[in-house]
Amino acid sequence: MASYILRRLFFLIFVLFGISVIVFGIMMSFGPERRAAAYITTPQQINAIPEIIKTYGLDDPFVIQYVRWIKEISKGNFGWSRYGAMPVWDALLTYLPITIELNLFAAPLTIILGIWLGTRAGIHKNTFIDHVTRITSVIGWSLPTFLFGLILLMVFYGLTQWFPPGVLDDKFIREIIQHPDRFTAYTGMYTVDGILNNRWDITLNALRHLVLPVMTQVVVVVAVLVRVMRSSMIEEMSKEFVLTARAKGASERTVNLLHVKKNALIPAVTVAGWLVALSLQGSIAVEIIFNRPGIGQWTAASAIALEMAPVMGMCVFLAIVYLTTNLIIDILYAVIDPRIRLE
Amino acid sequence: MAKVIEIKDVNTNFYTYEGIIKALDSVSLTIDHGSTFGLVGESGCGKSVTARSIMRIVQEPGKIESGKILFYPDPNKNGEGVDLLQKPESYMRDLRGDKISMIFQEPNSALNPIFTIGFQISESLLFHRKKELCQSVVDDLGKTGNGLFIPLSALLKKIYEIGARNPEALLLGLFSRIPILKRWDRLLKKKALNRSIELIDDLGIPNPQEVVKLYPHNLSGGMKQRVVIAIALACHPVLLIADEATSNLDVTIQAQILNLLKELKKKEISSVLLITHDLGVVAHTCDRVGVMYAGQLCEVADVRDIFENPRHPYTSALLGSVPKLLQKKTLQSIEGNVPNLVNPPEGCRFHPRCQYKTDICSEKAPPMEEVGTNHSVACYHHLSG
Repeated sequence: MASYILRRLFFLIFVLFGISVIVFGIMMSFGPERRAAAYITTPQQINAIPEIIKTYGLDDPFVIQYVRWIKEISKGNFGWSRYGAMPVWDALLTYLPITIELNLFAAPLTIILGIWLGTRAGIHKNTFIDHVTRITSVIGWSLPTFLFGLILLMVFYGLTQWFPPGVLDDKFIREIIQHPDRFTAYTGMYTVDGILNNRWDITLNALRHLVLPVMTQVVVVVAVLVRVMRSSMIEEMSKEFVLTARAKGASERTVNLLHVKKNALIPAVTVAGWLVALSLQGSIAVEIIFNRPGIGQWTAASAIALEMAPVMGMCVFLAIVYLTTNLIIDILYAVIDPRIRLE
Repeated sequence: MAKVIEIKDVNTNFYTYEGIIKALDSVSLTIDHGSTFGLVGESGCGKSVTARSIMRIVQEPGKIESGKILFYPDPNKNGEGVDLLQKPESYMRDLRGDKISMIFQEPNSALNPIFTIGFQISESLLFHRKKELCQSVVDDLGKTGNGLFIPLSALLKKIYEIGARNPEALLLGLFSRIPILKRWDRLLKKKALNRSIELIDDLGIPNPQEVVKLYPHNLSGGMKQRVVIAIALACHPVLLIADEATSNLDVTIQAQILNLLKELKKKEISSVLLITHDLGVVAHTCDRVGVMYAGQLCEVADVRDIFENPRHPYTSALLGSVPKLLQKKTLQSIEGNVPNLVNPPEGCRFHPRCQYKTDICSEKAPPMEEVGTNHSVACYHHLSG
């Protein structure tokens, strides 16, 4: 197992190389002028474009520019993010925790809820429970994120003031800015930092801000998992080993929750892993509606402004996320299914 | 001879989109203690449904509509049988795998792919023999020098004594939820695993200690079928149902398994219901034979009578369609097709394919009639002996 993981991590280097070439190639398909435009901020600088191209070597051959880019990256320099007004690496460290914080709560909830509901719906196929689960999950799935988020915001903030948007109450933010020595940002996630700094009031407040975005994220995403788990349960329930188990004298509960469910989990694990990887690129709608400056907002804004550096950085980051998720899924497969051996 | 099971007028229907499939239509048969009853017929004639109806494991959308399945567990105590169709599900759960068990057709899919062989066999023991297993663990713990820490050993002994008295005790369920004591049943599982090893050793699986740690995909088809048999035999059933147990195996393995079943029948189990479409297997193993056609039983007789003196036209046609070693003529087949069970033919279900049919055949279903010693047939024009 350990050697398998090491080997997979080793191959990651080659995959990353491939991805970086592709991403860089796409970026290079823009002309040097277009890329130089990202450096100018005022109309007066337009005349400076040829100079910028020359200084930064934007019309050099592909290989040279690529090697230059890789060299800078290996030094930790991912470039400058104009939207964030800071280096890309710092921007990533600033925005990413906010997205991760959301998924830290949304992902386990989605997986637990999705598998639980899917299992129940599968066992009680075509009964009231099944219909209710399916109808609700389809409604959740087909409601646009922004609409559902806005409705939640209207009810729980507009009408009742229970769960405000944003990341933290203003008074706490002010306190943190004014006394940086009292509150250390270990992770950038206020819920976790609050505990680490022994400031439970901040953690609780951050959690209050998280309720609505987490709810939106879960409701929108969970339907996929419910459907996969349900159909996988139904498929496994018709297999012959179920009859063997029943003929052995197993109770309905043992048959469904041990024999069937463990088999049915195999496809669900793939979907769950994929959903988590997908949410790590940040849901733009959730982040904008609930005013959480996460990585989705940042990537979208950077891409619109054609900022090469952040987009490339993001691509490399997402590649790493997807590859690690795939590795984790493969390991989980081997844990659940003995037929799959990691070699 | 004492009966072990008596099926009376059982009807089982499947509710599908095309309509109601009458898979079993008033099937009645009796199996004696100590005998092997062969049930033969074409695919889809209701053999497996009969077996599953006996165990009440007919899958959705099937439903047993009416009839009686009387079970007489003890050959020495003649009396009223237990009607399995009237019993609650919990009674059936205790019965399945213990008193009545079943070997399935397809060993490749009959085993759960993600559990070890050892787990799948011990499961059956853990369902039905928990009490005995707990008792034997208590006996083991009583002996000194088992290498366990003494207070722990005393505590474990107490727990297993509870288990030996009442395996369903609530206290045991509670223990399973307490973190340190959660694993109290480890010795129990080990005991069950050891029993499983003995069991598959008896069935001629080489290297049983290693095999219990393997998964189904590591074994060959014949080995898997032996494991399936081991699961069925784990609790020494009174009635063993073998549903096409050898159909998907190659001939040498088939012969091995059949001889194994024959041998086991002498030592371990009382009676066998053997379901097959292979008449050679029937001749080799059975005492009595029932022939099924389209959800109905058409002839029941001792095995010699069936082969030497078939009375039902279908039985005779079925025998005629078996290739023989010294056959000179072309092989005979039965004209026509198996009827659709959503709309079975009126009267005798075989009449559209029968060469002896008359008007009455399409009007009224023939009743089961005694035509010789222990030989009954459902036909108006049964062939004379």
